Amino acid sequence: MVAEYIDAADREARRRALSVFRERFKEIYKQIKMGENPFLMLPKRTLSNTIYDEKRKLLLLGPEKLKRSFFDLHESKKFMQTLLMARIIYEALERDEYPTIRDLYYRGKHTILYRDPSTGRRYEENTWDEQRESDAVIRDIEVFTGLLREEMLILSKEKGKVVGNMRIRSGNDIIDLSRMGHGAYAIEPTPDLIEFIDVDAEFVLVVEKDAVFQQLHRIGFWRKHKAILITSAGQPDRATRRFLRRLNEELKLPVYILTDADPYGWYIYSVFRIGSITLSYESERLATPEARFIGVSMTDIFGDKKTGKKPYLTEQERRNYIIKAKDADIKRAYELMNYRWFQTEKWKREIEIFLDKKSKLEIEALTSKGLRFLADKYLPEKIETGDWIS
Amino acid sequence: MPRRKRRASRTRSTATTASRGSVEVSEADVSFRSMTPSQFFYEYREVAGFGSPSRALYQTVRELVENALDATDVHGILPDIYVAIERLPENPNYYRVTVEDNGIGIDPKHVPYAFGQVLYSSKYRLRQARGRFGLGAKMAILYGQIKTGRPVEVYTSPLRSRKVYFFKIMIDIEKNQPIVLARGEFPNPSRWHGTRVSVVIEGDWPRARHRVYMYMQRTAIAAPYANITFIDPDGNITVYSRKIRKLPPKPKEVKPHPHGVDIELLKQLIKKSGASTLFEFLIEAFQGVGKKTAKSFLEFAGLEENLDPHKLSDKQLEHLARKLREFPKFRSPSADALSPFGPDIIEAGLRAILKPEFVVAVTRRPRAYEGHPFIVEVGIAYGGEIPVSNEPMLLRYANKIPLLYDEKADVAWKVVDPNNFDWKSYLVNFPAPIAVLTHIASTKVPYKGVGKESVADVPEIEQELRNALREAVRRLRDYLLKKLREEEARKRIATFMKYTPEVAKSLATILGPMGVKEEEVREMLLVAMKRRLGLSEDEFSKLVEGLEVSIEE
Repeated sequence: MVAEYIDAADREARRRALSVFRERFKEIYKQIKMGENPFLMLPKRTLSNTIYDEKRKLLLLGPEKLKRSFFDLHESKKFMQTLLMARIIYEALERDEYPTIRDLYYRGKHTILYRDPSTGRRYEENTWDEQRESDAVIRDIEVFTGLLREEMLILSKEKGKVVGNMRIRSGNDIIDLSRMGHGAYAIEPTPDLIEFIDVDAEFVLVVEKDAVFQQLHRIGFWRKHKAILITSAGQPDRATRRFLRRLNEELKLPVYILTDADPYGWYIYSVFRIGSITLSYESERLATPEARFIGVSMTDIFGDKKTGKKPYLTEQERRNYIIKAKDADIKRAYELMNYRWFQTEKWKREIEIFLDKKSKLEIEALTSKGLRFLADKYLPEKIETGDWIS
Repeated sequence: MPRRKRRASRTRSTATTASRGSVEVSEADVSFRSMTPSQFFYEYREVAGFGSPSRALYQTVRELVENALDATDVHGILPDIYVAIERLPENPNYYRVTVEDNGIGIDPKHVPYAFGQVLYSSKYRLRQARGRFGLGAKMAILYGQIKTGRPVEVYTSPLRSRKVYFFKIMIDIEKNQPIVLARGEFPNPSRWHGTRVSVVIEGDWPRARHRVYMYMQRTAIAAPYANITFIDPDGNITVYSRKIRKLPPKPKEVKPHPHGVDIELLKQLIKKSGASTLFEFLIEAFQGVGKKTAKSFLEFAGLEENLDPHKLSDKQLEHLARKLREFPKFRSPSADALSPFGPDIIEAGLRAILKPEFVVAVTRRPRAYEGHPFIVEVGIAYGGEIPVSNEPMLLRYANKIPLLYDEKADVAWKVVDPNNFDWKSYLVNFPAPIAVLTHIASTKVPYKGVGKESVADVPEIEQELRNALREAVRRLRDYLLKKLREEEARKRIATFMKYTPEVAKSLATILGPMGVKEEEVREMLLVAMKRRLGLSEDEFSKLVEGLEVSIEE
């Protein structure tokens, strides 16, 4: 009865996911049937097994595998948790449900009661206690089945927003992203189920800060400069990253990222571009290797004597807007220096200036200088002159 | 000299004096010529453990109990021993200590001397016996007599005697003679045999209490073949009932070994000997010396074999004693005189009193130091009701009697001390519930100092103690390892069983369309689990028996 309201894209995704589950878990069943110690072979999701692919410019999972056996004292519980989670997801797929990771946590959390025969004592143990545990198991199932959570119809909170001259189909509806009023389209958790209908834009601008996104939207930045305007509202979620990737890959739109001028801003750019360490297994689908860091860069603030670049800020403005870097910022900058993908000439220069000046700056500083300055001078000029880092 | 027939049990303690106390006695004769042995011992009562009322009470109990044990187990009788301490109504500091045994009794002819004359009878034969001080019982009598003016009361009946004999005896300290105040005879239709001794002494029960109880417990551990009943002055009754019917081997009497000889002992041996030549004397007086050995020794020592031993000068005596110690070709000392407990007795004793979960005991082969044979035994009790402590509980015994004082000065402590012994590599991690029993059986235990409460660090004994400890603790390690493995297996099974229902349910849900059933997966998982753990059907069912798992969803 509900089924008739569900669109074909979802149904197809479910059918596919269910069949993958059966295929993959049949292996476990076979092992048990042979009287073997059943195991799940999983790629290791650790920093040491995260590899930066120079050619494709992506963070990928390395070749190290983890054998999670049921009859292994230290792996037994994880094995059980993985199978329990697989069952819950499987059931949700079958029942046309859209659980969130929080839902999955609650559905799988229950108590195992057992009595120790040697002491006669009774114990209670939860299948899992914290969501951290169930979240980790979801990631394991993603790598084990090769299905991303979106493909298993697991939803997460919508965080990213988009506006622009573009029409898409989501479910059974066609949505015109240029007619969102003062609001914006919230990028749905399953961006792969979105169909691009038509688009009239020359580039994509991703703004880290939601407030700056709204300001640019309200003054009609995207109309004037033929842009698709996106905000990730801080660290990007998977849906925003996947959506951006599709815009770049399928519509061949160049992508510019605007963040605060500090190590955290740089890392946000880096997640968009090459993926994150915890989710490196999905970089291939989520990362946008061609994304460009448009700013705010250290050379925008201070200029660069080496290249003769002039700063966008006057001495007086710098005095007003610059924030002194905290110890945590400095520490983070040193960490980033170790990442291979930050070891390009331009990035080295950025970090060098940052460590030298020990200063950071928020995007809002540029809107304070003037929203028009940001929208009509800073951004167009930088795009035009190629003043970005990749 | 014809071998003397052994006297009744009461004199045996004196025999021990001869073996270990002879030097002191002789010195007393020389330096305190005007004193009788009774006077001398009274003057030096601290040395014998009668320095204070509390110590005297403890000492009296132990001397009488040790005599009682010597009258029974040594003669193949399973001991029934009754010990009572009563507070006398007329003086709260006076205590009557009564000890009764079912031993071989004492010939009534010997009773006055056995209890009323210090240094009555000496025999220069060696064998292991308890009596630490030998004179102990008489010291108690002497001490009681001086402090309270009360005589010792003795009931005794030798084996198969038709009568029970009764005596009240005091010691004439000046003359070192027994004074028999009363004697009597009763018919003995039940053929009771044994001895019951009562002395009244000045004591201090509140202060002695702890030691006396400790002593009784330690004695019970070392004599699990005995029934011991103890009634304290407050009327508390403790019964240590017999746990094993096996007795330790009887010690045989042996002649002294030449390596263990000093000038004084040599003098005594010569005095008792009827031999007219040195050659005869050597063969007669020492163990393991035949004609051949005697001859080659005399050559080695450069002494004429026809010398009259009774006419040797002091210089010659000194030379003889030294050469006897130096001659390398004497046979090793005989261990026949020794009476170790044996592992069965140690294990039974430790098990009965300490109630541990595991016991092991080791009796080493005899060895010798300076001509004295000795045997070392070590018992280990672990877990159960033994309290957890930062160091091992040490139960020291020498010639079957417990040593309670000066523990940290004892060679046994040196060996078991966690700072010296690598307990960890035997899976014992302190704090741990462990007790170590050490027993040194020897015709001469090398005590430290006059208190005779701790054994000196003689390298041979230390080495043997360490070897015995290692041997015993290796068996403890095997046990702990097995237990650890079992616990591990149990833990693994509990873990796997706990999660099996979830795994089975999950697979049955996902593969349900392919006809997979939960029950089927569960059964298959159990088979795989057994195989994985390498357990047989029996072992497996034993480990999972009573294990219950349920899921609350």
